[in-house]
Amino acid sequence: MSEKNISVALDRDHRSLSLQDEKVAMEVKDWNLYYGSKQALKEVNMIVPEHRVTAFIGPSGCGKSTLLRCFNRMNDLIDIVSVEGEMTLHGDDIYAREMNVASLRRRVGMVFQKPNPFPKTIYENVAYGLRLQGINDKSVLDETVEWALKGAGLWDEAKDRLNENALGMSGGQQQRLCIARAIAIKPEVLLLDEPTSALDPISTLAIEELIFELKKDFTIMIVTHNMQQAARVSDYTAFMYMGELIEYTDTDSLFTNPSQKRTEDYITGRYG
Amino acid sequence: MERTEFKSHISEQLNRNLEDLFNQVLEMGGLVERQLEDAVKAVQSGDVNLAKEVLQLDKVINKEEMEIDRLCARVLARQQPTASDLRLIIIAIRIAVDLERMGDEVVKAAKLVIKMADYDINCLDLPGYTSLIEITTCANTMLKTVLNAFARLDLSDLMSVIEDEERMDDSLSAATDEVLAGFKESHFAPECLLEMVYSLRASERVTDHAANIAESIIYLVEGRDVRNIDPERLSEFLSNLD
Repeated sequence: MSEKNISVALDRDHRSLSLQDEKVAMEVKDWNLYYGSKQALKEVNMIVPEHRVTAFIGPSGCGKSTLLRCFNRMNDLIDIVSVEGEMTLHGDDIYAREMNVASLRRRVGMVFQKPNPFPKTIYENVAYGLRLQGINDKSVLDETVEWALKGAGLWDEAKDRLNENALGMSGGQQQRLCIARAIAIKPEVLLLDEPTSALDPISTLAIEELIFELKKDFTIMIVTHNMQQAARVSDYTAFMYMGELIEYTDTDSLFTNPSQKRTEDYITGRYG
Repeated sequence: MERTEFKSHISEQLNRNLEDLFNQVLEMGGLVERQLEDAVKAVQSGDVNLAKEVLQLDKVINKEEMEIDRLCARVLARQQPTASDLRLIIIAIRIAVDLERMGDEVVKAAKLVIKMADYDINCLDLPGYTSLIEITTCANTMLKTVLNAFARLDLSDLMSVIEDEERMDDSLSAATDEVLAGFKESHFAPECLLEMVYSLRASERVTDHAANIAESIIYLVEGRDVRNIDPERLSEFLSNLD
């Protein structure tokens, strides 16, 4: 038996991912953020790989949500925030003066902790972003609403009640509706800020499975307090502490053999 | 318990990883089966090249064990398996250790063939030869049985493995006596006879590992740890299962 013959048995798909081999969707360079005089993000450098799920973990106040909100300039809404550094989306400087924030947010969609559907029908919730863009052609809207609800794993449950008020849905359904609303305008990147913290365990698993499916079409970033969730859904994990990015690597390595003591302490629950 | 239960999680990733784990353990077991078959043939024919392939295969088997450990570590760290999923991870690690040790033991028979070629001795002339073939062949049958049981999560044939293991203990003591007599009565150099004793013991160890795997599978399917219980009680336990 030749070596070659034997080695076939070991040709595995269980290799860890590597950031070096990825296409870049977003890039952060020397990023600092201040709330007034207090520095909340310190010299963050990272690339966000395309069509992957990147999770941010870390204790409360570590800056993970603040960083997430930088990716679609949600922090612009807070007067005392000032930023330094560079952030790009597929090469475009998103903090450049000529960048239109509304169009940036079309390219970088967001889903929040608490499901926040509009008090409208299921159909109109999903069609909302398209209507804002001036799209009113019924066949285009029908097609997109169906596509987005299918993408959000909600079509089977919603197809017979498209004209009912979205507020009549369960929490898990409402959150999937918010995801459908976010993907209906086909953003490049989807930001998820604690998307399951208000949901029961089974709805949570459904959303997690959905996140895994959605990365085929979108680049996804997720902030979660639930470390195990990051371990389950993400390809890459960033551990943040006191405004710094302590460790950022493939999720396999981070959860089986982290390179930083502070990461190890945090994920094993030894944090003081 | 059915194999399909391991494919029915909401998480497709977990389904895939557990299925991969099943396949990888079965694949590793298949390599050890092949190694045992080749070892028997090499001892029978004195084919040194075949014996060297047995050594080669051992290296592949060692790598398989590391792959299984890696996959188990990944599932434990990332998917927090519970109940039967957790038992599957625990026994996959254990079975991989047993299979790896089996691979090491089979190497002893291959080394016997290589060494006897140096002495220009035909293995089949050595005292203990018949028992060596018997024990190694039986070890392979036991391995096939436990791998089938694992693949189908079916415990019905496992009693034969426990019985065979006991039987091979007896074969080993008879064979050891035969070789010991050879020290006094035969013209073979003591190092050749010692090599035969090592091979016999090693093949018997393979049967012990096969029995360990049977116990692991019982733990997976029934959730009951049957290590260290005597064969009669184990037999009773297995016959009371529906």
